[in-house]
Amino acid sequence: MSDMTLWLLFAICGLLTFSIRLSFVQLHGHLAKHLERVQPVLALLPPAVLAALCIPPIVLNSHSAAVDWLQVMAGLVTLLLAVRFKSIIWPILGGMCVLWAGRYFL
Amino acid sequence: MSFQEYRESFWLGVKDMLPLLSGVLPFGLITGANGIALGLSPEQVFGMTMLFFAGSAQLAAYQLIQDNAAFVVIVLTTVVINLRFAIYSATMAPTLHPLKKRYRWPLAYMLTDQSYGLCSSPERQSAGLPERVWYYFGGAIVMCSFWVMAVLLGVAVGASIPPEWSLEFSIPLAFLAMLVGTVRNRTLLLVAVASGAFAVLLRPLPLNMGFIAAVMIGVGVGHVASKLRRRGADLYE
Repeated sequence: MSDMTLWLLFAICGLLTFSIRLSFVQLHGHLAKHLERVQPVLALLPPAVLAALCIPPIVLNSHSAAVDWLQVMAGLVTLLLAVRFKSIIWPILGGMCVLWAGRYFL
Repeated sequence: MSFQEYRESFWLGVKDMLPLLSGVLPFGLITGANGIALGLSPEQVFGMTMLFFAGSAQLAAYQLIQDNAAFVVIVLTTVVINLRFAIYSATMAPTLHPLKKRYRWPLAYMLTDQSYGLCSSPERQSAGLPERVWYYFGGAIVMCSFWVMAVLLGVAVGASIPPEWSLEFSIPLAFLAMLVGTVRNRTLLLVAVASGAFAVLLRPLPLNMGFIAAVMIGVGVGHVASKLRRRGADLYE
């Protein structure tokens, strides 16, 4: 791909990405009535999105796409620590330590 | 909505974002380093980073450029991977829509998974409008500048970071920790379990469609469950 084409690609992708981010923020006034109706559904979105974002890369190994039990263990430790602590730094550190320890000893 | 008045909300946003940066650093380094490895110039990697402001889409675009994919395919993939921002946009709309365009547009540009994760918690959503705006801005500005710096660092450092550290694994762990904060009742737990399970099962679908499908299934399951529960409650009255 030529330099010119690359820049055109970046610009188009960037513009579209910004449009998606702006979509509802910009049209909120016109969509207010509809938004009210879908409010109960919107409330369900955060756990749905966050789970779909984090569960596959934890459960599946990024190279083999098979279930990676060490990563699952790390995820479980993160889960337990997240229930216990409000800050997310301890759950992350705990999970990473399980991963590192597991790779070192197993 | 002066800064003086809402300084506390701003700094709380900054503070809450800081732990999330540990997961962003490796991701940014990888994004920067991979761009150089692909043969892009530092200017191109920087330009791409500013225009996309979306790491996973940028990495996907790298892959496709390398595979000599068609122009349209790369654009489509970027859109699909970034469709989740429409969901975030809907969640942030009550907070950002009332602002003037010159504030609304830059703040919408700065919308990321991390900012959404922080601002979508019920505790945050119940705050007053200016508090929510300043909290969002505090987190987003930190995230934004740190992301660009991390990518530039990646450009400079190249691929000399030991990959066996697997630092990028801290990104899903961060989302998992945020997920725990959003699960406040059994319906929301059901939504998370359904969405997570289907995201794994539908992983092989092309163009990251499995992600969107899993979110829709999770929401659908939760919607049906809450309707059934309401009907059940009616029976006992």
